[in-house]
Amino acid sequence: MNILSKITAIAIASATITLGSSQAWSAGSHDGGHGAKKNIGIPGKASEAMQTIEIKMLDNYYEPESISVKQGETVRFIIKNDGEFVHEFNIGTAAMHTAHQEEMMTMFEHGVLEADKINHDMMKMDMGNGKTMEHNDPNSILLEPGKSGEIVWKFNKAGKIEFACNIPGHYDAGMMGKIKFKS
Amino acid sequence: MMNTKKFRRHSCIVAVFYLVMMPFTSIADVYNLTVDKVIIDTGKFKKQGIGYNGASPGPVLRMEEGENVTINVTNNLDEMTSIHWHGLILPYQQDGVPTISYDGIKPGETFTYKFPIVQSGTYWFHSHSGFQEPDGAYGSIVIKSKKREPFRYDRDYVVQLTDKHPHSGARIMRNLKTMPDYYNRQQQTITDFISDSETNGLGTTINDRMAWGDMRMMPADIEDVQGFTPLINGKGPNQNWTGLFKPGERIRLRFINSSAMTYFDIRIPGLKMTVVSADGNNVRPVKVDEFRIAVAETFDVIVQPKDDKAYTIFAESMGRSAFGRGTLAPRDGMVAEVPQLKKSPLLTMADMGMDHSNMKGMDHSNMKGMDHSKMKGMDHSKMKGMDHSKMKSQVDPFYAPGSGLTPNAGKDKKFLSYQDLKAQKQLYKHRAPTREIELRLTGNMERYIWSINGKKYEDEEEIRLQYGERVRFKFVNETMMSHPMHLHGMWSILDTGAGKWNPIKHTVSVAPGTTLYTETEVDAPGQWAFHCHLSYHAASGMFRKIVVVGGPKSALLNSITSKEPKV
Amino acid sequence: MKINFLIFFSIGVIVSALSISPSLAQQKGLLIYGLQLEELEFRRGDEGEELFAWNGDAFVGTDEVKLRWLGEGEYDNTTSKFEGLENRLVLQWPISPFFDMKAGFRVDTPNGPDRSYSVLGLSGLAPQWFEIDADFFVSEKGDTSARLDAEYELLITNRLILTPSAEINVAFSGDHEIGVGSGISDIEAGMRLSYDLIDRRLSPYFGVVYERKFGQTEDLAKAEGEDFEGWRAVVGTKFMF
Repeated sequence: MNILSKITAIAIASATITLGSSQAWSAGSHDGGHGAKKNIGIPGKASEAMQTIEIKMLDNYYEPESISVKQGETVRFIIKNDGEFVHEFNIGTAAMHTAHQEEMMTMFEHGVLEADKINHDMMKMDMGNGKTMEHNDPNSILLEPGKSGEIVWKFNKAGKIEFACNIPGHYDAGMMGKIKFKS
Repeated sequence: MMNTKKFRRHSCIVAVFYLVMMPFTSIADVYNLTVDKVIIDTGKFKKQGIGYNGASPGPVLRMEEGENVTINVTNNLDEMTSIHWHGLILPYQQDGVPTISYDGIKPGETFTYKFPIVQSGTYWFHSHSGFQEPDGAYGSIVIKSKKREPFRYDRDYVVQLTDKHPHSGARIMRNLKTMPDYYNRQQQTITDFISDSETNGLGTTINDRMAWGDMRMMPADIEDVQGFTPLINGKGPNQNWTGLFKPGERIRLRFINSSAMTYFDIRIPGLKMTVVSADGNNVRPVKVDEFRIAVAETFDVIVQPKDDKAYTIFAESMGRSAFGRGTLAPRDGMVAEVPQLKKSPLLTMADMGMDHSNMKGMDHSNMKGMDHSKMKGMDHSKMKGMDHSKMKSQVDPFYAPGSGLTPNAGKDKKFLSYQDLKAQKQLYKHRAPTREIELRLTGNMERYIWSINGKKYEDEEEIRLQYGERVRFKFVNETMMSHPMHLHGMWSILDTGAGKWNPIKHTVSVAPGTTLYTETEVDAPGQWAFHCHLSYHAASGMFRKIVVVGGPKSALLNSITSKEPKV
Repeated sequence: MKINFLIFFSIGVIVSALSISPSLAQQKGLLIYGLQLEELEFRRGDEGEELFAWNGDAFVGTDEVKLRWLGEGEYDNTTSKFEGLENRLVLQWPISPFFDMKAGFRVDTPNGPDRSYSVLGLSGLAPQWFEIDADFFVSEKGDTSARLDAEYELLITNRLILTPSAEINVAFSGDHEIGVGSGISDIEAGMRLSYDLIDRRLSPYFGVVYERKFGQTEDLAKAEGEDFEGWRAVVGTKFMF
């Protein structure tokens, strides 16, 4: 392996370890694999984090409801679910969120997700098209009530992105927040 | 003894202190209502009616969860009146039903209601005397929540619907009793016979007409009362009630159906609605294109119009005889296109009331599908088939399979079903019911007699419940009409198969030919009304008194707190 | 006559007394009342006769029992005589989902001898939407007779209604004094086209009526030099309050 691949591997590994250290489950990747999202950033290194933002998940809103980041900045998000229901913290564009809401609806319909719990064993279920319903994208985290998790994210490109919860109905109820880019 | 200077300084300080503190003292918890004769102008006709504080609809009473309210009601009519607070949990003496809660309010008298507010959300109030409610005596209640609500919005509007008729309520009742199809101008005619024969063949059409004729029932019998003008916040379609917004804002629309007899199908062309509350209780948000609101129900929806244009709020009566219309617009004077009324539906044989003497031992798929306790196991397999297709299923398990009333929002559009309602928060711990009470919804259209278990209100005993039990009500609709059943004073947990997430309502609509279950934690001592909320059905016998036996002596205080689920 | 009338009337009183029994009443039943005129018309006969006819009823009561007045008559404008003038007062109560029973008395006071009868009958809606009235009469003289009235409403539109109707009178024993012979005494068939102008309150109509006497009744009429059959063009209005 060359050096670039080694660094990438370490980055991915540390991101995975960070995620795996809490009982967190991230979005199923239906559109192309880890980190390859349009202009929303890439997974970051915890050691490079320039700010730490604590996000509280409540029913059905976040505290805070908007954050400010600098282009190029790596942010460490510490997310805690203080609500009574399962919530998601997902970084993406509005369009990505809309698509993801449909995926999450499927998870509900299959019984993988309930309002207040996640059935981890059911996530491995094959949906019949080779895909499973594991929620493991680095740009998002799904938490049961009382649980915490972390996402380290590098906002390498400024854009119209938001953080949102795509549990059916939550986005429509207003569970989303703006990511403002400071100059 | 104080000298004058000191006294003046002290009184100044006291005065300033009081002025500063005034906003924090709850002056707002005393409400004054007068019951008056008013003129109602629908834009199509003017009629004398009854209103509150000089108008119909009455005012929006804005209350706060946790406050103690005092409501002074002065009767300026020359007949008895009453006000019932629909959906509010309170001591039974404050519930406002003459002969059950109290004697009523005499002409000229002022009655003072006093009770604590233990809930939040959208509710309404109306007279429970005679036909005063259809004559205009209704208003709304908006209760602010103590905690932050689980949805965001920038502004809110009450959208209260009614079906104002040129005839007074008493006259409509008399006409229906003399001739049950007095108001039905949607009956099948010779022209319908000819066009049906062309479409389906003469033999089939003759058989169809004879099948209904044998029963002496009409498939066109959906709206008992037609000829009304639907009003939104007191304004007819031409008067066009308008709510202003800034594009991008989230607007909470508090829909209340204060009609005497009419169900409305509500849609806002161009805007999807997220239902966040039903009957005052928050539900898990569900996005829909259209929903049906039964008489006495409330639904709170959030819309987020992003464009700088007007939108029409379209409320089509279930029988398609009339529509109510309002507008959401960025500026006054802007209007949007008003849709056409859809074609009137017809009932089918599936809606026919079940004749139980024939049904014994027979397991009809019609009835089985309605038994939700048995349906639970089927849910999953049903869902699987729907998963990957974009098309939403139009089947609603709360209507008889093949019913003519099954709502349909159109291709790729979603119509709200009771199936979609899941409580955002449990009010009571989920437990097995202690007993089941069957209530057959019965009636004789020809005599315009409506009843429960074949008996009118005055011919039957009261229903006695034990404080502390959990009753499961089984509603079996043996008639061809939908009935919105309303229990006063206690919540009706609607069994949609969602177990602890079953939605909590105060009014449940039972469609023709279906069976529906609700459960009630009997925690409100005293006596309560329980009736179909179609005004002329309640008046002709579809009514019962519920007596709750037992309970703490301090029954004046409420036994529910809005936080803890009850054990 | 008086005994029969008393018997039937007392049955009615007992029934109504039972229905308003106070023990279970938690609220009073609805009081309903109404007045309607099914026919209020001018008739022009095929031989130039001009008549004025009516057929109406009024009632007051509850779901359990109603007091009902029914009246019908025919007034001959040219001879200034009441060809027919009949008033009935009955108690009516439900006996099945679609049928009521009636009991009371009837008084006829047309041109000619008067008659009173006690009445026992049925009124209701038969399958396929036929409105039926069937009555059994016992006159003060002891003569028995029966009448069957049937009507059907055909909707051309929701306001334009075609109503064929038929009435058959049968006498089980003749009453020659009033021109009634035993057997089928007479029939009246009508066809009226009405339009609901104001709700169901005012519905003007026009139509045609055919009357005919049969058998002994026909003979009696011929002997008197009277018509035993005739066609009439009618124009009038229905009322409902």
